[in-house]
Amino acid sequence: MAVDTKKVDEIIAGYEKSEESLLAILQDFQREFNYVPEEGMEKLSELFGVPASKIYAMGTFYKALSLEPTGRHTCKVCTGTACHLKGASNVVDVIGRQLKIRPGETTKDMRFTLQTVNCVGACALAPVVVVDDKDYYEGASPQNILKNLKNYK
Amino acid sequence: MESRKLNSVDEFNEYRAKILNSHKGDYPVIYVCGGTPCLAKGSRAVAEAFRKEIEAQGLECRVELSLKITGCQGFCSKGPVVSFGDDIVYMEVKPKHVPEIIEKTVKRGEIIEALGYKDPATGKKAATFDGIPFYSHQKQLILGDLRKLDPFEIDDYIARGGYASLDRAFSMDPDAIIDTIEASGLRGRGGGGFPAGRKWRSCRNIETETRYVLCNGDEGDPGAFMDRSIMEGNPHAVIEGMIIGARAVGAHKGYAYIRDEYPLAVEAMKKAVVDATALGILGKNILGSGFDFEVKITRGGGAFVCGESSALMRSVEGKVGEPRAKYIRSVEKGLYEQPTVLNNVETWANVPLIINNGVQWYRQTGTDGSPGTKVFSLAGKVENTGLVEVPMGITIRELVEDIGGGVLGGKRFKAVQTGGPSGGCIPQSKMDLPIDFDSLTDAGSMMGSGGIIVMDEETCMVDVAKYFISFLVEESCGKCAPCRDGLPRMLRILTDITEGKGKEGDIEVLEELCDVLSYGALCGLGTSAPNPVLSTIRYFRDEYEAHIRDKRCPGHVCKSFITYRIDADACTGCTLCAKQCPQKCISGEKKQTHVIDQDKCIKCNVCREVCKFDAVRVE
Amino acid sequence: MENIKIVIDGKEVEAIRDQSVLDVARENGIYIPALCYHPEVEASGGSCRVCLVEAHQNGRMRLVTSCNYPAREGLEIKTDTDLVRRIRKGVVELLLSRVPDSDVIRELATRDGIEDTRFFKDEGDNYRYKCIACSLCTLVCEEVVGVSAISMLNRGYEKEPGTPYHKASQACIGCGACAYACPTQAIAMTDEGALRKIWGREFSMVSCSVCGKPYIPEAQVDWIVKTTGKERSFFDKCPDHR
Repeated sequence: MAVDTKKVDEIIAGYEKSEESLLAILQDFQREFNYVPEEGMEKLSELFGVPASKIYAMGTFYKALSLEPTGRHTCKVCTGTACHLKGASNVVDVIGRQLKIRPGETTKDMRFTLQTVNCVGACALAPVVVVDDKDYYEGASPQNILKNLKNYK
Repeated sequence: MESRKLNSVDEFNEYRAKILNSHKGDYPVIYVCGGTPCLAKGSRAVAEAFRKEIEAQGLECRVELSLKITGCQGFCSKGPVVSFGDDIVYMEVKPKHVPEIIEKTVKRGEIIEALGYKDPATGKKAATFDGIPFYSHQKQLILGDLRKLDPFEIDDYIARGGYASLDRAFSMDPDAIIDTIEASGLRGRGGGGFPAGRKWRSCRNIETETRYVLCNGDEGDPGAFMDRSIMEGNPHAVIEGMIIGARAVGAHKGYAYIRDEYPLAVEAMKKAVVDATALGILGKNILGSGFDFEVKITRGGGAFVCGESSALMRSVEGKVGEPRAKYIRSVEKGLYEQPTVLNNVETWANVPLIINNGVQWYRQTGTDGSPGTKVFSLAGKVENTGLVEVPMGITIRELVEDIGGGVLGGKRFKAVQTGGPSGGCIPQSKMDLPIDFDSLTDAGSMMGSGGIIVMDEETCMVDVAKYFISFLVEESCGKCAPCRDGLPRMLRILTDITEGKGKEGDIEVLEELCDVLSYGALCGLGTSAPNPVLSTIRYFRDEYEAHIRDKRCPGHVCKSFITYRIDADACTGCTLCAKQCPQKCISGEKKQTHVIDQDKCIKCNVCREVCKFDAVRVE
Repeated sequence: MENIKIVIDGKEVEAIRDQSVLDVARENGIYIPALCYHPEVEASGGSCRVCLVEAHQNGRMRLVTSCNYPAREGLEIKTDTDLVRRIRKGVVELLLSRVPDSDVIRELATRDGIEDTRFFKDEGDNYRYKCIACSLCTLVCEEVVGVSAISMLNRGYEKEPGTPYHKASQACIGCGACAYACPTQAIAMTDEGALRKIWGREFSMVSCSVCGKPYIPEAQVDWIVKTTGKERSFFDKCPDHR
């Protein structure tokens, strides 16, 4: 998949040239491209003088980063303790069945990536589902969430 | 206000006077909660409705209003919360309530009881902070400001006395600041409860040019949202604490490491740093004191282990967040191998209070060994989910029953879980245990950062242990063998037990593995990982045995041991469950009792959720 | 350097302040099993947890990894207590579950009286050959060789050393230091004629002008010439014939 190298350069240029900026830059890649592209890592390694192996290791370590392209929308099912007690695993199952994917996977049409996340700190909404990091849904009824998911194209 | 760099404390005081002057008189302020759950429940629309209504009739009635979206007001399960000063508070406010609120409460100061909190026991409504047990039993030193501040407005913070402690801190000798913090007995709110003053002193005593202060905002314990709420609702208090700490230990650079899953907290803290820097409260020569200090915000990458101090520091440096194997304390060699003080969000937010009000005042609250208050997030199977602040030493019973309103739906209480994956479960018999650092540790749990999860009779304690171990399997960094290879083996045994494949001796093997981790693992994540297993074995061994010997799950949770059945007496034949069943395994004619085909049922619980007549039973 | 005395298993021994306890033990002929530690690699140690010992200090006892525990005056070490044996046995049994085919681990297991692991083994799709993910190879590559061609990837149970995207690494110089350092001989490196294969890449070898034996990858010569300024002709002959 070709990546807009101008965007890559733009993101990198916005940061101080120091190892300290690596994680933030990788996260910006993730936000921009829905994953961390190989081209981006290579460029970063070259410009910052940090071995490619180290940047790649970060990509495999941090959960916020994905090395595979993810969907246009991320559907995060919170599996924090409160959500677990209130049936989060059922919510995961129901959404997974509907989208025909397992947590961590992306639908074939690249519409959704389903993720589980260890607590978004919104326990009053438990079990809670967060779409695109901004829309919070109370998950008491998984059916209701399925209805809402239809609004994401 | 127009921001310009303030070059002295006098200029700062003038600036504050100007803000206060611009707030002409005593006009009503409507505080709409802008915490994450309230936003999710529609508080933005409520705020918008207020804005429109004020605009529409503002001039006519000459009511001066300032509408604020604040940080978390605490009572998350009853959001959106709207409050007025220190008295009136409304719950579950919807845009349609706005005209009535404007007419009665804003214009005439009347209380609308109907929008208050309904006591589930008596059915009585109350709409004042004093009248609602959830609030009246709290002591809010840190959270009080959250309901009245617009976290994105530094002027708001300054108007309420924010950054006033800097004057005093800059006129104090650094050692005197440390003496004060030490005498206050402030202990780290991040879990371990290490005395903050002692940590600061060790750092200061090392001769070096460069030192750092860090703020741990990587609140990773599932079910904990205190630090999120503080960062989102009162970011400047954290920064003010960091400035004082930096001045005390002699650091000129600080970092706040914030969990990636908290976008709003990142935004609020970033804005706070920018605004404080613009006013000269951060940066070179702070308020003309000659002291330089800057703060950088680092976003976490989604790794629980980065809450561990040495892993957090590696992550700030832009590396993989693995803990350090060496036996060196980070106050000696921390970030970039320099002496470093790391405290968590809530700890930093306590610091300005102590400097402003003094040791004696601070020690009036809490216990001798654990002075001050503690912020908890109360969640799980409890009536009132929310953010609460109580004096240290309050009992679990008071927290769960008085403030929390008891177990959700009148079910029987079974346990509370504290301390997240590093903590443990505390049973009913210990309900009168005082909550402080030492008592919780003695009981086999720990304070942790302050997540309190209530569990009821429908909770399976083996399932809870399995839940935490599977969490830790995902979050183990993989550097040391006991944690990396031991946790998946523990998980397999626990899974077997919950699936009816448990055998005699499993509990003992689990205990053996727990020992290997607690003695042999490299960092705190690994050494504390056994706590959820050990504490559930200690207090709920009978539940393990029921699974292993009787192939029975007392909490009716583990799918291998339960069946779903429709109660013929309660079923009205509405067909809703049959329609929603993903397996299409419920049959029955309209207005006739429905039946579940047990061979096809996957126990997904959908039928039970959708049934309006509570006719689906789990056995 | 400050000379101090510490006690190991009741015996007073000489040490240098902050020296690794494991090194001190080895100098004095006291056996402590260890895998992931290499005295020449600063950042090594602390991963395999096989070298656990009891450290008694300031009235406190805790279990520590001897490889990176600093020797200090007044320190007393016990290498063979019930607790040490019990916890190490547990660690070794876990390692054996991870790499049931490693002879090094099997030997350690036998020593501790373990016949077979009671836990599930990593077999089938999860087969890990002999790697215990101790990270020594990556540390050697970074610290000693200086190329950082490999790093520790993933987290938790899936932790393993590797090259970026598991592709043939352009940074690798084929020196094989990782393979030599590996405590469980888990890194596949083959030399066939003048061709070396390692980490999915092939390296052609320079042969000795005297004995004709291929002895060093060309890429490694390039690297040494580039970083040290040594004459290329120096590598015409192998160390035996220089």
